[in-house]
Formats: sequence, C-alpha cells, structure tokens
Amino acid sequence: MTRSIAANIRGLTLAIAMTFLVTSVGVGYWTLVAGDELGSDPFNPRLVAAIRDRPRGFIKDSAGNTLAESVQTPDGYKRVYRDKTLAHVTGYASFQFGASGIEAAYAESLVGQDPGDPLSQWRARYLRERAPPGSIVLGIDPKVQKAAVDALGGRRGAIVAIDPRNGAILASVSWPQYDASLISDPATEDATWKQVNADPDKPLINRVTQGLYPPGSTFKIVTGAAALESGVDPNAKVRVDDPWQADKSWGSYFVRSSSRAHGDYTMADGYRLSENIYFAKIGLQIGGPKLAEYAQRFGIGSSTRCDITGAKGQLSRTGVLDRPTLVADTSYGQGELLVSPLQMALVAAAVGMGGVMPTPHYATEVRDAEGHAIRVIAPGPIGQVIRPETARTLTTMLVGAVEGPGAFAFAAKIAGVHVAGKTGSAENPSGAPHGWFVGFAPAESPTVAVAILLENSPRGGEDAAPLGGRVMQAALGK
Amino acid sequence: MIAVTRRRPELGLLFWVAALGITGSVAVAAAEVAGFRPQQLVVPATFVVIAFALHVFLAARGVRGDQLLLPIAAALTALGLVLVQRLASNLLVQQLSWTLIAAGAFAATILIPKDLTALSRFKWTWALLGVLLLISPLLPVIGREVNGARIWLGVGTVTFEPWEAVKILLVIFFAAYLEEFREVLAQTQRRFGPIPVPPVPYLVPIVAMWAIAMVVMVFERDLGATLLFLGIFLAMLYLATGEVFYTLIGLLLLLVGGFVAYHVFGHVAARVDIWLHPFADDVRFDTGYQLVQGLFALANGGLFGAGLGNGMPDRIPVVWSDFVFDAFAEEVGFAGAIALLSLYLLFVYRGMLIALRAPTPFLQLLAAGLSFIVALQTLVIVGGNSRLIPLTGITLPFVAYGGSSLVTNWMLVALLIRVSDMTARVRGTP
Repeated sequence: MTRSIAANIRGLTLAIAMTFLVTSVGVGYWTLVAGDELGSDPFNPRLVAAIRDRPRGFIKDSAGNTLAESVQTPDGYKRVYRDKTLAHVTGYASFQFGASGIEAAYAESLVGQDPGDPLSQWRARYLRERAPPGSIVLGIDPKVQKAAVDALGGRRGAIVAIDPRNGAILASVSWPQYDASLISDPATEDATWKQVNADPDKPLINRVTQGLYPPGSTFKIVTGAAALESGVDPNAKVRVDDPWQADKSWGSYFVRSSSRAHGDYTMADGYRLSENIYFAKIGLQIGGPKLAEYAQRFGIGSSTRCDITGAKGQLSRTGVLDRPTLVADTSYGQGELLVSPLQMALVAAAVGMGGVMPTPHYATEVRDAEGHAIRVIAPGPIGQVIRPETARTLTTMLVGAVEGPGAFAFAAKIAGVHVAGKTGSAENPSGAPHGWFVGFAPAESPTVAVAILLENSPRGGEDAAPLGGRVMQAALGK
Repeated sequence: MIAVTRRRPELGLLFWVAALGITGSVAVAAAEVAGFRPQQLVVPATFVVIAFALHVFLAARGVRGDQLLLPIAAALTALGLVLVQRLASNLLVQQLSWTLIAAGAFAATILIPKDLTALSRFKWTWALLGVLLLISPLLPVIGREVNGARIWLGVGTVTFEPWEAVKILLVIFFAAYLEEFREVLAQTQRRFGPIPVPPVPYLVPIVAMWAIAMVVMVFERDLGATLLFLGIFLAMLYLATGEVFYTLIGLLLLLVGGFVAYHVFGHVAARVDIWLHPFADDVRFDTGYQLVQGLFALANGGLFGAGLGNGMPDRIPVVWSDFVFDAFAEEVGFAGAIALLSLYLLFVYRGMLIALRAPTPFLQLLAAGLSFIVALQTLVIVGGNSRLIPLTGITLPFVAYGGSSLVTNWMLVALLIRVSDMTARVRGTP
C-alpha cells in the first residue's frame, strides 16, 4: 500500500518548518550577533556615516584639557583636534579614511558603547539606543608633553615618557606632525590625505609605537641582563682591543670600539663607556639562544599590548641568532635588530621597577556624559622579566653610565636626583646614526622612564641624552 | 445562480493590511529629507482599494474556503510597495501597475477554468508550453539578457521572466502526471538494496522534463531557477510516492551537479567563491560587494531595526530586487525579519492545509506543490541574503520588485483559493 499523500504533505511541511527555523537562526546570527564585528568594520559605510550624524565623545589629557571634540557644522559633525603635537595619539576620525589612534582604539567608547558598560552595549545592539558619548581621559601630562615637544624641537624623531609604576604614557611626541583636523574635515580630507601620504618623511606614522629602528647601544641593557642571569661576573675584567674578531673565520669582519679602546673592562666600564667589544664578547660567551631568550623576555618581537597598537620589532630576520657575527652585532644593538621607542622605554621601565615590566597604555579612564568613570584603564604588569637583584645591579651600572667619570650619558643628569640611563648611536642605512637615550629617574624608585629617538642625528646618543634629562626633569617637577 | 458568501475574517484582516500599507508608506516618507506629502498616500490608497476589491470579488462570486491567503498575500504585497518606495521610489508607479495586473490575473484565475480538475487532462499541453516558455529567452528578437542571465522576454520596454510562469505549469504537469502514475512509481517490486528501482518507462517523461530544464538552465545561466526547478521536481516526487530515497538521490545529483558546475561554469564558481569568502580583500570590493553590503545592512538590524527609512540599505546594489530581505531586516530588525518569515510560513502552512483536505490526489499534489514554490523561493533567497547558501537570482515572493513574479504569485494564490473552494463545496462546509 502506498503511503497516503496526506502523510507526505505532513512530512514535507515539517521539513519546511524546520528549514524556516534554521534560516531564522541564521538571520538572528547576522542581525544580533555579527553586529559587533561588522559594525566596526572600517569599510562599513554606517560607521563612517556615524561620524557625521552623531557627536563623538571628548578626548582629554590628564589635566582635563580637551584634545579632541566634535563640532557641529551645517553638514553634520566634524572632529576638531586642539593639540597638534598629539595628532598621532588622538588619531583622526575621517568620513572617508576611517579612524586611527585613540579614535580607533576606543571607537565604541566614543559613541557611548563602552565595553565596560554592558548595558549600553546591549541597548545599542538590540534597541539601537546609544548613550550620549562620554570622554576618554589620557595619561598625557601637559607639562611633560610640552617639555618633550620643546626638547625634540622639530627634529625628526620620537619621545615617549611613561610612568613605570602603572604603564601610563605621560608624553608622546612623533615628528613630523600632521594636522588631524584637516584629515577629519570633509572639505580638506582628500587633499590633506594625498599630501601626507606623498610626504617622504611619513608624518602619518606614530614613531613612538610604529617606528622601527636599530636600538644601538641601548640594547646593551638586555645583553647585560642576559649575562648577569647566565652567571657572568660583572666585575671580571674583559680584554678589549680595537678592532676585534673572534677568530680568522670572520674574514675581514671586525667589531669596532667607538673610542678605539685598548684595556681591561668590567661590565660597569662597558656601560659607562658604551664599549661594543665588551658586550660582543660576553654576548658570544652566553650564546645566541640565551641572548634571544632575553630579547624575547623584554618584549622584542612581540606586541607591547599598548591600547594604540604598534610594531612588534624583530630580533633578526629569521627570528633566531644562528651566526657568531650576528650574535656579536646583536649584543651591542646592531645586527638585524629593530625596535620601537616605546619598546625601549619599557625595557628601561622594567629595569627601574625591579624587573617588572608594565603594560603601556595611553588612556587611563573612560567617562560617561556626566563625567562619572565607567571604566578605569589600569592593566596589570606584563610580568617579571628579570630577577630583582639583576635589575638592581643593572640600575647601579646605568646610574654610573650617566653620572660616572667620563660617562657617555652625562648630559641626562638632573640636579638632586639619581638618573639611570644609556645612550645609543644606531648605525642605519639612511645616513647619520640614530641618536638614542633611554633611562629612568629617580634611580632608586622611578616615577618616569623615557625613550628618546633622534633620526639621523650627527652625534647620535650624545644629542639624545640631554633631551632625556629635560623630559624626566619635567616629569619629576624639578 | 451563485450564492454570495460572507468572508468576515478575510474582511477584518484586510483592515490590518490597509493599516500596515498606509503607516509603512507614511513612515518611509516621513524619514526622507523632503518629509511626508499627502499625495504620497495615492499609492497605498490605490493598493488598499485593490485589496478590498479582490475581497468583494471573491465574496460576490460566492467563493468559499480559505480566508487567510488573500490577507497574507496582500500584506506581503503591501510591504513590497513600501520597500519599493523606500529603496527605488522611481519604480513605485511601475510596481503599482504590476500590482493591478496581478490583481487582474488573480481574478481571471478565479474565473477560468470553470473546472479545476480539467487542468489535469491537458498535462502534456502544459508540459509543452512550459518547455517552450523555458527556451523562449534563447530565441532572437524577444529574448533578453540581463546581468549575464538570458532569462527574459522583452517587447519594447516591457520585460517578462517566463520562468515565473513555468514554475506553475510545472506543478500542474507534475501533479497530473504523478496522480496517474504514482501507484506504479511507488509500488516497486524491485529494490536495489534499500534503493527502489521504479519501472523505467514511467520515469522517462519526468527525467526528460528535468533534463530539458537543466540544459536550458545551463544555457540561460540562471542558478536560482535551476535550483527551484530541481526542488519542485524532488518535492513533487516525494509528495506522490513518499519515497525518501528519490529525494536523497535527487539531492546527491544536485551536489554532484553542483560540483561539476563549479568546475565547469565560471558563473557558478564565482557565486560559490563569493559565498565562501565574501570578506576576502579581492572579493569584498569586487564580485562580493553586493553580499558584503547586504551583510552590513543585516548586522545593523539589531532587535528592532533602525526604523523604516533610517538604515543605509541603499548602499547595496540592486537592493530592490535582490536584497529586499536585508534592507527590510536592517530597518525593522530581527523582530521584523522573523515576523516576515512567519507570514511566509503561515502562508505555506495554510497552503499545505488546503492540500491535506483536497478531495482528489491531483488537487492535493497541486496545492502542496504550489505552496512549496513559495516556501522554497523564500528559503532560497533569504538563505542567500544571509549567507547560509550561495546567492541566487530568486526573488522574495510578493515583496521584491518585479512584475512577472508578482503576477504569477497572485495566480498561485488564486489556484490555492480555488482548491480550497472546491474542497468546501465537496464537503459542504462554508
């Protein structure tokens, strides 16, 4: 007997109903769940339209000064930025070119949907009601920022100052600048965008977080830490004769001493006089894998976890140190090393804090429209990267590098405070060496750590050290 | 002498439909920059008159039976007009004209033929007519190619998609054919393992029909129609025989066919690639642009949507015919989208109920097949719009812009109402 048609109709109807159910779940996924991801897709025209249709929240510095705000025009809202020296930090919010900096990193908070406020997210997602936008407060201290801008004085380069205790960024300057207001204004965005992108000095790059440079002698802090923790005696004398090569297999390749030195060096001497051959020798003594391990511990090659995303840097092109000459060159910060100024500031901060590296962050607080804190941004430290006693030994030697007899970094001295620091002059393919200074103060319990980078500066680290002193002085209120 | 019937529930529901059409139109107009102008009420008002006229017509003709299908179809058509006003207001008058024609086609189908069961006697005529219509776009002069698919007939500025009519002819043919041979097809003596092997001669016409369609589809490059054709074919076969294995074999053929088509035909491969990787950088700004913009619209929907007129669905290319569902969902949210799907499901449910109660196997198969068309079309386009399956050129029944689809769907409603009417007469119910 054939099954009745009626039974088949019931079967088919059931199958159809089930398929409708599955389809509804699919529609539910896209309308309710996927909204977060697609809503913040930089190519979603809605995100861009929202810049014109609604005011975004304020961006303020730690003293309460407004850095960015939405201004109403006949064509809708546009963003205006009050401090051009912070263009790389605030970023821009353009109808056409999307957002960058804090504008991108806290895009949701700036439209009244902070992740720390689940209710506002829920209301925005399901009911399409947005809370009036609040504000983002940055850790930027206007006094330190001004000191950093003045110190850099319009030279190509970057300065970053960080509070090593909590990772808050106190000052961040990247030069050359661009005008974020022009990129966010529909009337000028096209022309400005074209112009800044065509500029060979690449003003759009935030050199603090995204700039990648060989660290030069500042990297000796990492090499020293690796050596100390590998059992190298810092007081043992190491013979330095310029020029030096480990053996004949290096051919015509030699490590050079910047002071053409001949003599017996302790580690403290190595720091004070920035002796390449000393560090090349102990680097080879502990070996490539050990050096690579400590570079990795100090965050070279990985994300800084900063709220404004930056470069990861590299230890070498392959990620390992597999040739003796590469180990030797890396030991004093050359070879194939690339780091960002923020990464070097974190290295200094970690040493100053007894080996605890903080997580850097530009924003410190998200506030609602009434000014109440929705969320305090206080990420815990990245971790203990070296032992406290190692950090103490290093600190003593780095104070010596600033204050000792004939110290290279003497210009970073601040009256009445012990400063720990290290200069660097990084050889690079684009001309004169990059000048570096990294340091922290007061040496015994630091409240500020800095990294200074001057691109292609004739006297390298010697040019950078006084800038470090001035910025730290401003931060210490001296 | 025809006794006038009172179709009270239908009348009551039509007031809700009228409210839906008018408020929708006003809401869309109010959200526009120019604001609401009274003359904009002409379109929804005309539609309301048409809908009530159809109700009066049915009552005056003494049509009995189902009273839900007309309000549901009217509600969907009203939503369609609101969405055309929202998304392509320059096409609104044209769509209203098509609505008028569709209403005429509905009335004509209620009037002729006098005896519905007579349809089954001319099954070979329907089959031939269907094949002719299917291949007609390939003919010179009247055939038109639109967006790479040669599936249109055109005379002057008026174009018609013959496939739309073919799907109804197909259901009529299958219903008639399967009514005659379903016993033979189902009661197979021979089985190959669990797989039933039907007497070959009886399968020949069906397979031939299917093969002709496939060949035509390949040349006309219309993926959606192929899918619909195969779907109807398999569903009707299952309805008649209850053999799940026919369906499984059919689905297997579909997968194999799809696999072959993917590797042989560029347009099929393109559709599948867009479906798999719409957000890939070389796809999202190119072939996948439409789908990605559609998904952005969906994702902006939330629970209750942006409100009519307040979304940005106009960024989706050809949104009024291909992506009305996403546009609708953006502005009325998940809740609205589910309400719309529920309307379709209710329509299909009523259609299947009519099929269940129909007095003869032919009428049962006819009603179930017609309801299945609406279900399949809805699922295929909504699935395509929400990236559950590859996108095809199928239109959302009653709602999407397009005349041929609207006219044939209203004829489909008329056929279902007639089956219901016959059932009521046979059983002596109102």
